[in-house]
Amino acid sequence: MKRSHWFALAFVVAALLWTGSANSAEEKKAVKLSSSSIQVFPVSSDEVKIPAEFQMALYEHVIQELQKSGKFQHVYREGDRAAADAADLIALRGNVTGFKKGSEGMRQVTTVAGTTSVTIHCQFIDKSGKVQLERDITGKVHFFGGNLRATYDFAKKVAKVVEESF
Amino acid sequence: MNMRRAVPTLFVAVAALLGAMLLCPSSFAQEGVTVPETKQVLGLEGVKPNKTGILVVEKGTLGFKFGKKKVDVPANSIEDVITDKDSQRAIGGFVGTLTMFAPYGSGRFLSLFRTKIDTLTIRYHDSSGGLHGAIFSMPIGKAEDVKKELLAEGAKTTIPIEPAATGPAPATPKKEEPKQ
Repeated sequence: MKRSHWFALAFVVAALLWTGSANSAEEKKAVKLSSSSIQVFPVSSDEVKIPAEFQMALYEHVIQELQKSGKFQHVYREGDRAAADAADLIALRGNVTGFKKGSEGMRQVTTVAGTTSVTIHCQFIDKSGKVQLERDITGKVHFFGGNLRATYDFAKKVAKVVEESF
Repeated sequence: MNMRRAVPTLFVAVAALLGAMLLCPSSFAQEGVTVPETKQVLGLEGVKPNKTGILVVEKGTLGFKFGKKKVDVPANSIEDVITDKDSQRAIGGFVGTLTMFAPYGSGRFLSLFRTKIDTLTIRYHDSSGGLHGAIFSMPIGKAEDVKKELLAEGAKTTIPIEPAATGPAPATPKKEEPKQ
């Protein structure tokens, strides 16, 4: 192949890469949401049942991580009367869509087997009821730690989604 | 003897007796429940996760003492009290049966913690109406006592306490195999 052909090919590839990155940057910009306050609701478990302690651990960890993220001036809990006055309130609701049963015992023994994971379909809903953003987020505990760690991992990932999207 | 006088007197006496009988259980309830070596796993406002202390239920409140501090939650602000056994019963059924047969105790996923401790979860509202969830772990056999006491003090639950078994569980009648 001639040298000029190589140059042409390199130019086309570079152009493609540039337009691709520009598009993805635009997409990222497009999904950026703005809100000064968020209200967190406990996850529901319509199809996949989870125990109360798991539900509450998810709820409390998510509130804690959202407060830590500093993305919102107010992080309201379900039922908080002050949330009614927040103009640009976003509600975070989740529904458990899947889980993989793990075993802390197996994790302790093998450190590779016995992974626990919980997947929750999360929706960020504005005051008019329109879903602004939705993601499936999975919390896992791979190696060491009890099942509580999966709820913490989930909350960390929710905070990461918030960091990227708000 | 004047019967007209005797009947109201008797009526008052019976009413007083009934009143005393009704008051007796509540006076016992006021004794409360104290559970040392309780761990507040997470969620109780003003307490850091994994703090160990003493859980006290008395005078209409659930109190958690740790060091010199004490955090109180009014019992009537608690909308749900659930033990780990309640969760097992509530989920039970199909999932419970499945996890019985699952390998190497994978049913543990249904519990956050190991089975050698009791777990108690409460859902309560703060003064502004915000929902909180607090999880406690405590020595085995104590969660049911705490739940009973909390309910007596005005807390609510979505899973009522099972009536205590009076004797050994009745054995399921075996179906006789038809003789061939």
